[in-house]
Amino acid sequence: MNPPLMARALLLAVAGDDQAEFVAGDLHEEFVFLCQTRGRRAGRRWYVWQVARSILALLGLRMRSGEVAHVFAATALGVAIPLLLLDRLWCFVYSQIPLKDGLHRAPGFLAANVICAGLCAAFCGATARSLRRAVAIAAAAALAAGFALWNSAGAAPALYVCVILLIAPASSLMAWRRFR
Amino acid sequence: MPKGESLGEFEYLVLLAVLRLDADAYGMRVRREIAERTGRDVAIGAVYATLDRLESKRLVKGEWSDPTPERGGRAKRRFHLTGAGAEAVTRERQELASMMEGLVFPLPRATR
Repeated sequence: MNPPLMARALLLAVAGDDQAEFVAGDLHEEFVFLCQTRGRRAGRRWYVWQVARSILALLGLRMRSGEVAHVFAATALGVAIPLLLLDRLWCFVYSQIPLKDGLHRAPGFLAANVICAGLCAAFCGATARSLRRAVAIAAAAALAAGFALWNSAGAAPALYVCVILLIAPASSLMAWRRFR
Repeated sequence: MPKGESLGEFEYLVLLAVLRLDADAYGMRVRREIAERTGRDVAIGAVYATLDRLESKRLVKGEWSDPTPERGGRAKRRFHLTGAGAEAVTRERQELASMMEGLVFPLPRATR
């Protein structure tokens, strides 16, 4: 007798590692009890409703434990550092090629940046010994990198500069303070 | 008493539930106890968020127990009152009793 898959996955994604252990256990225990006494459908409905109502409280709990700060720090590091390095590298390469200097960068270059940022962020997450967290970080990093690159190519390059220059040192400091 | 140490209404209910359940006080039992006695259908997340807050105030202490098959192989986190928790419950009860003193129940309907 298994609880609804989507609700359970959502619970595990939202709750921190420690919280997921006992909250999922409690919900499973009550779910089995409800299935036996009121039927499977009522049990499944109750489970989904409990998860939906607990999301904000569990996120708050996770934030208080400091785990979310780590995820954000790893994400920012995973995005900012590869972007900074790749951007500087390609600027240098383009500057060495006659007639290429100052040209807009090709879409393939942007895609390569996003993929590298995603991989580095996944590596940051993997160091936390959690595949689930690594996937979440990689997805968040890819989104953030895409957003930063989109801005760097278009209307708001200042935002890109902020992402590169401010978030990388700030997140390094946060990560250092957490793991010291 | 410093402002940060005062108990909220739900915190007080959770502390009382932990006290009543004694050795069997874990999230779902606390939730069920509150639901049965007050009729409130609270979310499990809210119960654990409150227990975490109480633990950070050092009013309860949590301990892990072994995983069991009926919980899908997951461990349980049991809570018990600390000395400071017991003091907080007693103090809250005295404050309530003091505020109730002299009042006659049921109260007459309020008039405008």
